Parts: sequence; structure tokens; C-alpha cells
Amino acid sequence: MVVGDPNLARLLEHPAIWRGRSARARRGLSSGFAALDAHLPEQGWPRSGLIEILVGRFGSGELSLLLPALAALTQAATARWCVWVAPPLMPFAPALVAQGIMLERVAVVGGARPLWAFEQTIGSGACDAVLAWAGRPKLRELRRLQLAAERGRTLGVLFRPRRAAREASVAVLRLDLEPLPGGARLTLLKGRSARRDAIDLQWHDAHASAS
Amino acid sequence: MRPHPEQAELLPVTARPEAAGTALRPLPRTGVAASEATQLWVAVQLPVTCDASQLEPLALAVQRFTPRVSLVPPDALLLEVKGSLHLFNGLAGLRAELARECQRLQVAPLIACAPTSLAALTAARAGKPLVITTMAQLTSQLAPLPLSALRWPDEVRARLARLGVRNLGALLRLPRAGFARRFGVAQLAMLDALTGRSAEVRVTFRAREHFRRRRQFSYEIEDHGLLCAALAPLFHALGEFLTARQCGVVELEVRLLHRHAPPASCVLALAAPCADAARLAALWSEHLRALLLPEPVRAAELRAAALLPHLPGSHGLWQPGEHGGSENAATGELIERLRARLGADAVHGLSVRAGHRPESAWARTAPPVPAGTQPPRREPAVVSQLAGRRPLWLLPTPQPLAEQAGLPRRCGALRLTGEPERIETGWWDGAEVARDYYTAIDVHGVRLWVFRERRAPHGWFLHGVLG
Repeated sequence: MVVGDPNLARLLEHPAIWRGRSARARRGLSSGFAALDAHLPEQGWPRSGLIEILVGRFGSGELSLLLPALAALTQAATARWCVWVAPPLMPFAPALVAQGIMLERVAVVGGARPLWAFEQTIGSGACDAVLAWAGRPKLRELRRLQLAAERGRTLGVLFRPRRAAREASVAVLRLDLEPLPGGARLTLLKGRSARRDAIDLQWHDAHASAS
Repeated sequence: MRPHPEQAELLPVTARPEAAGTALRPLPRTGVAASEATQLWVAVQLPVTCDASQLEPLALAVQRFTPRVSLVPPDALLLEVKGSLHLFNGLAGLRAELARECQRLQVAPLIACAPTSLAALTAARAGKPLVITTMAQLTSQLAPLPLSALRWPDEVRARLARLGVRNLGALLRLPRAGFARRFGVAQLAMLDALTGRSAEVRVTFRAREHFRRRRQFSYEIEDHGLLCAALAPLFHALGEFLTARQCGVVELEVRLLHRHAPPASCVLALAAPCADAARLAALWSEHLRALLLPEPVRAAELRAAALLPHLPGSHGLWQPGEHGGSENAATGELIERLRARLGADAVHGLSVRAGHRPESAWARTAPPVPAGTQPPRREPAVVSQLAGRRPLWLLPTPQPLAEQAGLPRRCGALRLTGEPERIETGWWDGAEVARDYYTAIDVHGVRLWVFRERRAPHGWFLHGVLG
């Protein structure tokens, strides 16, 4: 078998075949931060699968980190939904609009069973992205979420406290976020062929420049 | 011969409701002698005291006389009884039975018979219980009836009155060509139908269908999964029933019967008519989880009351999500499933309102419409002026903060950054505010949106998280 064989090359183009070297060939969803895109395995957020963002405190900047990508998702002509499952506070609509998010594509799901709602939403195929603040999911539940995300071709984002870093995870990407003045420091804890060093990001918004 | 129900469907004079608008062929004239009419119509005219809602129960009741029952809204029924006369010992017997049936339903209608439907109806509306059995008698019997029985517009009747035409006899004597020119072809066609010169098409009333099916289990079921499996044949039957009729249900009742306890009832409500058995079964399974059953289940019953016409939409060429494939079905299903388990208000959308106070600048809305059904609309430009000046998270109510040396504290001192923003007034709706908003950074580096009351005692409050 010759490496340059055109038949073999065609076979290897099949999306179901994943090779370590080809990870960079797939284009993810641009995060809106050039420095972060350069670090992420697919030059952006994965378009489907579960990612985990670990923060020390709620409001450390985890939403600012995702907003440019969410805005791009909801503005697309054939956008699906962007669903927020059990957010601890109510997302403030005018600020979302100011960041470029189309509210027509945003739904908020409340209720007592965030993990169940997360799995239903992420696996329904009706959403582009699902953000969830779920209590303390077990590994088995995370596995189900990851499978549901691939079934629904949805980007699922699970926000968890930093102490969850000790637990095993099946997420395709796991990163730790730590606030800095006017930005944040990201550490990639897990990711296919991702670099492990920390990245410092500056927020784009006016608050950051004022501070 | 009494027409068989299926045959009656095929007769050209009976039009099915869904065929309305398509070309209808009149009944071919058979070579029967003029003395013996081919049809015999009975008109049942409700008195003015009855309302239109009584028409349908009556139509259901009189379907035992003939399958060819037509509604003439708002207040009359027409029955073609030629084929069923021999079953009731002739016309007299049938009329007596019909009168008894009406008495049982507590209506006192006026009943008239004639070889054409319109003639019977006209006689009944004129208040004359005529019994005309042959075409030969038709014109002479109709002649003395007043014009008002035709229910033509007042203007036409006034013009006829000016011509000296006050009853049907005089009307039928008018020359056809002149009549059509002065009063229109439609009125002439009506006169032709009245005298049997042309056949009239009547839409046959069809009773509303219901779905009700019961399944007795051979053993008592107390397991959730088994119960879902045991009901699957019922849902399958419902799906076939609905598909065959091109109907959907918006409300479905599932009754579970126990040995001692009264039956448990669970009503599934759908946003739009649905004929998909698998989807209904999935929805039922969600409802079942929330249901507390007192005893094991011995039997189950499915009841669908109202069937609504439902044409399934065409499926897209692409799978949902790829190349702009439609998501409508998936989104509708998702909302129903979430609501079934979490409650009706668990899913909502967000919208921006014109308001300068943060509390009144947003609102909950119904969940977003499925993507692709409408182009995204642009938000008002006023919002973009605030870019970056608003927090991504808002507390439902401002939370008081501790204070030390005039500065707010929250697990340590807060550091205020940037320029303050003043938001005040609101006297017009009683929720007046006077606040200076600051961005603050707490000891953990979290950016908060805090404000200081401009009025005494100048308290500090947390109102949002910049996120």
C-alpha cells in the first residue's frame, strides 16, 4: 500500500475515519478570539460534542468567552436553536442582543431536572448549541450527554465548578477559566491534540477597556 | 331500495365535504314516469326558538331513517327517504316515527315532503306541512306559497312585488328569459331546482368520528416500561386510524383502569394536530412518569374526541440541520416533551423591550418559532448603543450589599471601575428608580454590576453579573 495512492487518499477522506494528523484539517466554530483559535484542536469550538468549562466562581467570564461563537451561530441563515438549560440567573436580553445574538433563536429551559432537560435538548437535533448549568453529573450521565450531543450534532457546553477537574470526563474539550482584569486565563485540561499551556484572553467589550 | 351507506357515498348527487369545489355532476335522469318521483325529500325545519347547535344532534338522530341527510344551516335538515319508505310502512309511518324522534329530542319542527329537496324546504319554511309525492302535483301545490319562503334578498322580493308577483305560482309563470335577465341566472337555477327541472346537489352530512379503543391486559401491570409496551398496539391502531382519515388529534385521553380504584385519566394536549403514533406514544411515556398510580393497571383505553383535518407536511430532501434542512418537527417535539415533564412554563424565549430600567428592558416570550420559518428580524438600534454597558446576567431583584467606609463589600471589598451610569425616573408606572450603576470587581475577579441608591439611606445593591 502506497501512501500516495489516490484510492487510499479518497478512502481516508471519509468523515468517519479520524486520524491524529487530520484533526487540524477539520474546521471548528471560530471562538472569536484568535489566540484561542490557535490553541483549540479544530481552530475553534467543536461543532458537535460536549465541552466542559470549569470556573471558580459563577460569572468569571465563561459567558463572554462563548458569546462571539454563539452570536455567529444564531446569525447564520439556517441556524437552529441556542438553548440555555437551568441558568442560575436570567440572561439579560439587551446585553445578548448587544453582543450580536439573535433572540429569535434563544430559548431558556428552567425546571427541576436540568440534566434530563439537557440530554433531551442536546440530543433532539433542534439546537446548534446548548448551554447548561447542571448540578453534579456522574460520569455515566456525562457519557450519555456526550453521545446525545453527537446524535443531535449539537455543541453542548456544561459549566462546572473547578473542583470537578479532579473527576474523569468524557467531554471532547475541557478547559479551566480564571478571571483576569479585563479578560481571562484559559487552561486546556483536555482536548484532542490540544496544547496544554495557558492562554490569556482580553474581552472585546467596553467594560473591559474601561477597567 | 334503500341505498346502502357506501353506495350513497358514490351517488353523484351526494358530495363529500372534502370534494367541495370540484366539479359535481348532477344525477342522471332516469327514464321513470313523471307520475312517480325518483326521490322523496323530507324537510325538517326547526322553529325559530331553536338555535343552530341543535341541528347536529338532530341530524345524528335522523340518520337512522336514511343515510342521505343534509344540513341546511342554520335551521333545517333535508332527508332523502325514497329508499327507506318500505322500512317504515310508507311515508305516513316514517313521518310519525320522525315526529316521535323529534319529540324525544324536545324539538318541534315543521316537516314537509316533496320530490325535490328545495320544494320540501320551501314548503317547510313557508310553514305548510305539505306532502307532495308526485312530480305532477308539485307545481300546483307550491303555487300558493309566499315568496318569503325562498329566502331571497329583500331587494329581489321588493322588485318582484312591484311586478305583482306575490306567490310562487305567479313567479313560476314569469317568462324564463326575461326572468333570468332581470333577476340573474342564479335565481332561475334555483327555480329549476325547485320544480325538478334540474337536479340539485346536496352535501351528505357525515357524523363526526371518534376513536375509542380499549385493551384488557391478561395480567396486572405495575411496571412503567411494560405499561408503555402494553399500550403500544393502541397507539399503533390510533396512528392507522388517523392516517387513513388524514386527520390528527390535538387532545388524547388515556384512561388506565384498576381493580378497585377509580380509573386514572391522563390527557395529552398537543400544539398542532398530530397523527404520528410514535410521537404520541413518546409524549404519553413522558406523562406517565409524572403520574402516580394507586394500583396496578388491568386495562387501558385510548379516547380521541375531536379529529381535525391534518395533512402531513412534505419531508425535506435533506436531513434536519444539513444544507438548511427543516427543523420544524424536531423543535415542536422538543417543546412538547420538555413541557410534558417540566411544566408548561418551563420553556420560554427572551425579548427586548423598550425600557431604560434594566428590569423593564426585557420580557419572557413564547418559545421561539422553529428556525427557518421566518427571517431573523433586527433588534432596534437603541440596543446597540448600550453595547458592553449591560451585564449578561441580571438578578431578579437587586440584592443588598454590605458597606464599609462608603464602599460595597461582598466576600471582601469590591473594587469599583469605570464611569458610573445614572439610571433614574419611572414615575409613570410607580416603579421609580434613582441609581448610579458601577462595574465592580470582587476579590475572586468576578465582574459585578452594582448600584448605589441616590436616595437616603444610599444603600449599595448587586444587580447583575457581567459574566
